[in-house]
Amino acid sequence: MFPGAAAARADAAYALVGAPLDASTSFEPGARFGPDRVRRYAEAFDDYDHRTDRHFSELSVYDHGDIGPTADTEEYLTYLRGTCGDLREEGAVPLLVGGEHTVTVAGVRAADPDVFVCLDAHLDLRESYAGDPLSHATVTRHALDVADRAVVLGARTGSEAEWERASEADVTVVDPADVADWEPDFDADESAYLSVDIDGFDPAYAPGTGTKEPFGIEPREGRRVVREVAPHAAGFDVVEVNDRDDGQAAVLAAKLLRAFVYSHAADR
Amino acid sequence: MATKQVEVRDLDEGSYVMIDDVPCTINAYSTAKPGKHGSAKARVEAEGVFDGKKRNLSQPVDAKIRVPIINRKQGQVVSTSGGDEAQVMDLETFDTFTLALPDGVSMEPDDEIEYLEMESQRKIV
Repeated sequence: MFPGAAAARADAAYALVGAPLDASTSFEPGARFGPDRVRRYAEAFDDYDHRTDRHFSELSVYDHGDIGPTADTEEYLTYLRGTCGDLREEGAVPLLVGGEHTVTVAGVRAADPDVFVCLDAHLDLRESYAGDPLSHATVTRHALDVADRAVVLGARTGSEAEWERASEADVTVVDPADVADWEPDFDADESAYLSVDIDGFDPAYAPGTGTKEPFGIEPREGRRVVREVAPHAAGFDVVEVNDRDDGQAAVLAAKLLRAFVYSHAADR
Repeated sequence: MATKQVEVRDLDEGSYVMIDDVPCTINAYSTAKPGKHGSAKARVEAEGVFDGKKRNLSQPVDAKIRVPIINRKQGQVVSTSGGDEAQVMDLETFDTFTLALPDGVSMEPDDEIEYLEMESQRKIV
């Protein structure tokens, strides 16, 4: 169980769902250990958040446990989307913990947002990667099947075709150097979905991830984005944490998940 | 109620299942492994055959579940009220009964139809 996430499902305002998918990981594997690592490295946190004057354990967070993948990723995403949809209907905001970034597709389909906001080193606008249309490198493209537009913060690499796709009006790319100054520009009636791919951060801070990319976001800047988007968000995920470091990626992921919950709850 | 028992793993999209004692058509069937050592779980998204309401269930794939026995039958329109109902005669038993027309469909006398029947519930397809 994620520390402090002791609420019963029936009382949940937030529902953490572990999604240890590690199928299309193209470089260093281990995203399947992400949910375990994130729960483990959240152990050391204080329950109390001074900024919002709230105790995490009093915010009705429920840990649904992990939903393990089967061999068929599309079917797995259907299952995951269905579970997140059930939780939303029951009044809880889903908090997915990956797993590779592909699990975001299920979270986005369940939340049906207007805007997809993502912290990520990669554009993830490929139609397929290595012959796989559900690769972790296709997530933003899939999200745009649901959302009207996407904002990718911290993106610093992609194929030529991806950069071309990113130049269209429905995609906003924010360079890592500009993340500190970015402000959400949502209309009052727009709902958002926030996805944190931990590789958006500089690999010096989050080395435990499958596809590291230098010159990334600073943790404090990423946390500000999480805090500012949270009140608009119908769903959240943090993905691509693996077990190949000393817990730096997992502890950052866990802290950002908590930052999301505190900020979302403070706005309720 | 006429049902038979199957395992959850035998269900498939397009087939029927009983959820909350209501016969439903399955729209989506997916499986996932819930934990490291748990058995696989299936998730079924369905809607009521006769009431159209959405219903879901999550069960281990080896759980037993009931499937309704729904007959697909032929009928002929005898008369229409001009509204959203028709008098229909079953072409095997010659029983006559009133059926609601699907939205946006109009029928004329002598039109042949197919309908689903489960005990006293019927629906034009």
